[in-house]
Amino acid sequence: MLSARSRIALALLWLAVLALAAWAITQRLQLSGDLRKFMPAAETPAQKLLIDELGEGPGSRLLLMSISGADAPTIAAQSQALRSALAARPEFALVANGGDASLDAIPKRLRPYRYLLSDTFDARPLDEALLREELDARVQDLGSPAASLIEPLLSADPTLETLKLAERWQPANAPQRLHEVWFDRAGDKALLVAQTRAAGFDPTGQQAAVDAIHSDFAKIAAGTRSELVLTGPGAFSVEIGGRTAAEAQWIGMVDTLGLILLLGIAYRSWKMPILGALPLATAGLAGLGAVALLFDGVHGITVAFGFTLIGVVQDYPIHLFSHQRPGMSPWTNARSLWPTLATGVASTCIAYVTFLFSGVDGLKQLAVFTIVGLGAAAISTRFVLPALIDPAPRDFADSRVLAKMWRGIARLPRPKGSLAMLALVALGIVAFAPGPFWQNDLSKLTPVPADALAQDAVLRDELGAPDVRYVLTLEGKTEDQALQASERLRPALDRLVATRALTGYDLASRYLPSAQVQRARQQALPARDRLQAMLGTVLEDSPFNADAFDPFVADIEAAKRAPALFQADLQGTPLAASVAGLLLPGSDHVTALVSLSGLQDPAAVAKVAAANGARLLDLKEASESLVAAYRGRVLAALAIAALLLTATVWIALRQPRRVLRVLLPMALTTLLILAVLRGLGIELNLFHLVALILAAGLGLDYALFFDHAGDDRADQLRTLHALIVCSLMTLLVFSLLAWSSIPVLRAIGSTVAIGVFANFVLALLVSRQPVQEASDVVA
Amino acid sequence: MPTLMLLCSAVWPCAAAPEAGAAVAVDADWILQKLARPAPVRTAFVELRGSAMLKAPLRIEGEYQRPDQDTLVRAVRSPYVETTTLRNGEATIVRAGKAPRKFALSRVPELAGLQASFGALLSGDRALLEKHYRLTPQGTHQQWTLVLAPLDAQMKSSVRDITLYGRGAELRCIETRPLKGDLQRTLLAGAANEAGKAGSGKASSADALAGLCRAGVAR
Repeated sequence: MLSARSRIALALLWLAVLALAAWAITQRLQLSGDLRKFMPAAETPAQKLLIDELGEGPGSRLLLMSISGADAPTIAAQSQALRSALAARPEFALVANGGDASLDAIPKRLRPYRYLLSDTFDARPLDEALLREELDARVQDLGSPAASLIEPLLSADPTLETLKLAERWQPANAPQRLHEVWFDRAGDKALLVAQTRAAGFDPTGQQAAVDAIHSDFAKIAAGTRSELVLTGPGAFSVEIGGRTAAEAQWIGMVDTLGLILLLGIAYRSWKMPILGALPLATAGLAGLGAVALLFDGVHGITVAFGFTLIGVVQDYPIHLFSHQRPGMSPWTNARSLWPTLATGVASTCIAYVTFLFSGVDGLKQLAVFTIVGLGAAAISTRFVLPALIDPAPRDFADSRVLAKMWRGIARLPRPKGSLAMLALVALGIVAFAPGPFWQNDLSKLTPVPADALAQDAVLRDELGAPDVRYVLTLEGKTEDQALQASERLRPALDRLVATRALTGYDLASRYLPSAQVQRARQQALPARDRLQAMLGTVLEDSPFNADAFDPFVADIEAAKRAPALFQADLQGTPLAASVAGLLLPGSDHVTALVSLSGLQDPAAVAKVAAANGARLLDLKEASESLVAAYRGRVLAALAIAALLLTATVWIALRQPRRVLRVLLPMALTTLLILAVLRGLGIELNLFHLVALILAAGLGLDYALFFDHAGDDRADQLRTLHALIVCSLMTLLVFSLLAWSSIPVLRAIGSTVAIGVFANFVLALLVSRQPVQEASDVVA
Repeated sequence: MPTLMLLCSAVWPCAAAPEAGAAVAVDADWILQKLARPAPVRTAFVELRGSAMLKAPLRIEGEYQRPDQDTLVRAVRSPYVETTTLRNGEATIVRAGKAPRKFALSRVPELAGLQASFGALLSGDRALLEKHYRLTPQGTHQQWTLVLAPLDAQMKSSVRDITLYGRGAELRCIETRPLKGDLQRTLLAGAANEAGKAGSGKASSADALAGLCRAGVAR
């Protein structure tokens, strides 16, 4: 037995080791928000596109902004300032506000390519008549107030192709421009759109982007009345993430206070809350460490689910504390509890092993996390914690309050038929309650406030931003084939726009024509000699000098000789981002996307697409089917897990009656939770499922410990004490979560809270053994 | 094309009579006071636009109109027809048979700075004008110049200075000296009429117009 001082020293040492481990793990840990790692392998084409190539819809990286509240020139200037501030930041691949339809968009080395990218000469070849017309217009330009803008371009580009292209490369279906920037139809909001480099599902990256926008705008708008509205999937996820964190923090604080209070009252010692937290902290760190060691990146959902699942280890030290009594060494105590604790841990761990064979990376991580966590908590409770416990001043079996409670419980009838009835009613509710059983829509888990959604709809409409749900795809063996397919599709798309099935679309061939088209344009360009002869005739009686357009002749010649432009050549230009989002190279094929905006009639678009070799993908449907597939894997794993768990308990307890007494509360509770949730019309999601597993794990432990207490009255009292503390603690934590406004937290909270209550009551009624008559006399 | 905005203040009924009076040294207040005119007003102009690309400077004739306080119209009659309307920080250019084109005045820095001083010139608000320019008046009431040197860094990068030439209450000419390129000259009111009378022959060469602008006397 250690002295009080060395016990404290040991506890501090443990804490230090944990802190060191936490530091080491955070060095290694790469938290990933990539949902794809948590999903099963993609099977349908839409799933494959979503998971393997796209990762998300084309609109999910877009943040939409509006500036309002001041006069139009002021907000236009602020829009320009914000655009240039954001464009300079690494967080953004693209920032557009309608301005900058200028030359900076095209790098110098690519400028001769304007004659291959622009369709100006498709309808009307570059001949003498066209040149004459254009040069006449340029004379007027020189005499106009815009002269200083146009003069620098003129000698190389007398037809102003540069300006035409810059204008064309503005997003399709762009809003009106006032004061050089996009404005809404009413003309009182300047509109901007930014494409983040971070994926839409990367919360950290989106947070950085949103923060950058807010801080830059604050600087720009300082001293004015301008206001910024920021929407888009990334902005929403940041807002919801922030709200979740804020609520979780608030709940966590209340929880901590409640737990300290609860443990203080239960054990009358300030040390207990600290000692009680050590196995949980050990479990979390051991789990994280194992996952970080075995996997490339730890998924955020693994951590969230994992910490929910290891919540059960909070109970381990409680059992030890409550069974501690004067004259008994903590080591003896731990040794006598160990078979029960080990049975619970082992059967749960064996159940989680099934997740390892699920074929889903995220579930494997979850299994490793939970198994290692539970194991570490159990082992530390058995082999380290006893060294830290102070000798007990009293035996909880002597508590009068407990004794009174216990007598009341002992008088309760043993339910048999009533349980069967309860199960039957619950089963009926689960089976026949109206409404869908499962919730597949991931977005429902993170609901966007209605006013933010309304703002988003307005901005999306004004900006003609692409649909986040539907996208058209075309495939080609090569980049050029995919671009040719896009070009062939355009007339059909234009007809769809004309019939108002769509308001607009965007595709890669709008920026980068296929090599075929580029070559045809090259051939149509006049040769140097012919161009010079044409120019000579036209310039003879024009105000321009004879040599004024020599750079133009050189550029045309360069364009005529240049090799066709491909996606790789756009590297480092503003065009690269536009094209990269729409032209996705795969291993053996290239996928061209057509983003759609203002989609009114998906069915009509799907039909036209199919007739033209394209496909309309419903990304929402794809992600929902993935969620369903994922859930299927979880359920299959759980079914096997249930069998394994039963087998483990059977091997440990060996008597059919005891096995039944231990497993019945847990099974019945699961049924009851489902009945309550279904009865309330709640659609179940993955978080409910995970919470059900936790509830079942808690129920197993409760039942095992009641079973362990056997027919000994004193031991039953101590077990009752332990389980009251355990269940109150869990109930406190999870019922607070159940009141949360965040559906994820609410799902976990409500499920576990109902589960703890039902498990406790049922374990008390079913798993507890009848006490020998003799002990009644002693009382 | 900074000249344009200055015209907002300069446009008035043609042939304002020269101020009768002694050869008193001029000051900026006096000039600004004389220049301030309520809308609507109109005046003829002759402008020369030089460029290295052109065989000879482009001679543009037309009329500046100020139909209301906030609008300036530049109607070109020769050598082609074109109407430019400056309003609300935006320029709209209309040509025969073409869709109107728009661009923001802010895109041309020298215009942006002048846009800010627009109100100042109209109301004769010297303090406001001096926020954007250093004013250097010279000459007499009969024949004066007012040099506006930009203070704003962005504008300084494109415009060296702007010189107004006047006789009494008549603003006759505006010269803009860019940092790069040729000097741009706009003849107004009496000077424009005299240049018009001189025709577009040799008599209206750049030198002749410069003479009209600076001396204020047709030769």
